[in-house]
Amino acid sequence: MADFAIYFDSSKCVGCKGCQAACKNWNLLPSPLGLNANEPTGSYQSPRDLNGDTRLLMRFEEHDADAEDTGRKWGIEWSIGRRSCMHCIDPACAAVCPSGALSVDPDTGFVRVREQDCIGCHYCSGACPFGVPHYHRDGTKINKCTACLDRIENGRGPHLGDIGQFNVPACVHTCPPGALAYGERDEMLRKAHQRVEVLKAKGFQKASVYGENELSGLHVIYVLKYESETYGLPKDPQVGALVGAVDVMKPLTGLAAAATVAGLAASFLTGMGYKRHELRYDQKTHETIDVQTGEVLQTVSTTGEKE
Amino acid sequence: MTRYIKRHSLQARLTHDIFVISCILLAITGLFVFVAPLTALVPAEAVFVMRMAHRVLGVIFTVVPLISAIIAPRGVLHMLKNYTAKWDKDDVTFIKRFVPYMLGPKRVHMPDQHEVKSGQRIADGMLIVLSLLMIVSGLMLMLGGSSIKMVALFLHDLGFLGLAVFGLAHIYLGLGVFQPYRRTARLMFGDGTVSESDALYHWGHWAREELESGKNIIEKE
Repeated sequence: MADFAIYFDSSKCVGCKGCQAACKNWNLLPSPLGLNANEPTGSYQSPRDLNGDTRLLMRFEEHDADAEDTGRKWGIEWSIGRRSCMHCIDPACAAVCPSGALSVDPDTGFVRVREQDCIGCHYCSGACPFGVPHYHRDGTKINKCTACLDRIENGRGPHLGDIGQFNVPACVHTCPPGALAYGERDEMLRKAHQRVEVLKAKGFQKASVYGENELSGLHVIYVLKYESETYGLPKDPQVGALVGAVDVMKPLTGLAAAATVAGLAASFLTGMGYKRHELRYDQKTHETIDVQTGEVLQTVSTTGEKE
Repeated sequence: MTRYIKRHSLQARLTHDIFVISCILLAITGLFVFVAPLTALVPAEAVFVMRMAHRVLGVIFTVVPLISAIIAPRGVLHMLKNYTAKWDKDDVTFIKRFVPYMLGPKRVHMPDQHEVKSGQRIADGMLIVLSLLMIVSGLMLMLGGSSIKMVALFLHDLGFLGLAVFGLAHIYLGLGVFQPYRRTARLMFGDGTVSESDALYHWGHWAREELESGKNIIEKE
């Protein structure tokens, strides 16, 4: 299996949000058109978070200059982040998806979405360590980044032989400053490390690559100028322990049910041919009597003592 | 003429039967979400319908016993008293002999029991606790946010595992598939009465008390 990745260089991003618009355009996702229809966020960021119609969101985070990091004592810095599906190498969402609507694409490693198979259980939303999966407005079908696999497969893509502009996801194709790129994961990682070296040389001491080792690796590789938290990216994302436990529950339940049925079947077989004699109670003598044989099986005194 | 003891009221039987039927339908509809190969067998729309039916059935599963408890609080108290009754020597012996008895009813004999057997207190008690767990975790799954979804899902799966084990055993015994338990199905799915002979066999202490008092005794051909 080839591993592909989307590369995002936050130091080159100019915050035009062309990628966000291109994502909506390619995936035919509507936007609210009313005046102030989106809740104001106090920055260029809009909407506040991913939602049923937004698979890719550019985050705008304003923070004080960090003298320890960049040497600048005054002023503000902008962290422009990209929030979308991280396409984990080992995706928790696909692990808990009961219907197979989410799966790992064997040709690219991205998390494929088969919307028609989604049953709207929302388990993926709870399992994702980044809180990415959202649902269309009626809540029945998942809406998350597909890495434009439909587009790439029809444009053939780098892994199948490029034929023009459709060989990359819509967001990558539209990015004017070249902050986004698409290609083999190893190549994207090489590119990211080179860029981090450049940034460090320019004085961004906390510049880093994100997505190489987090959660055993992601298929979105970030070049970050500042600390990951300023981009809304957790430093050490973890898949909840219950994701693994939920995975174990299914075979365990099957096993427990099978063992119970086997035990009951054994009980039934050993009980075959069993016939019980009718019993009668004489409340005057306090005797329990076997009706067939007339034998007194038990006598209980008025004080409740057995004789 | 055979003597019968009235054991379960019409309301108790109706509550039990509606609860059981909704539980079985909940298990069937739930399996289409729980077992991926089953989900793949039918179109997503059908699974969606089952998920919605699962919710409606979940409401029935929750509300029917609740209404019944509100209508008959004394019945609830009576049930609680029986389930929390102090164990005597016969109760302990019953539990000790349970597995050998299940695998050899011809040679192992059980001691007399009170209105609710000690085994029933454990097994039915577990069914009640697990049903409550399913209701609470089901509500969390339906109404809770994504942060509690995985906890709720795990608890729901755990509850289902327990219900599968205790539910299968309950069906086996309650429906009278197990040979010594023949005719017990009529207790909840019939007229709620138990014959003198069956009562003496299953709940000896209770049967004698009832036969002595004569209050709940009826005679039938």
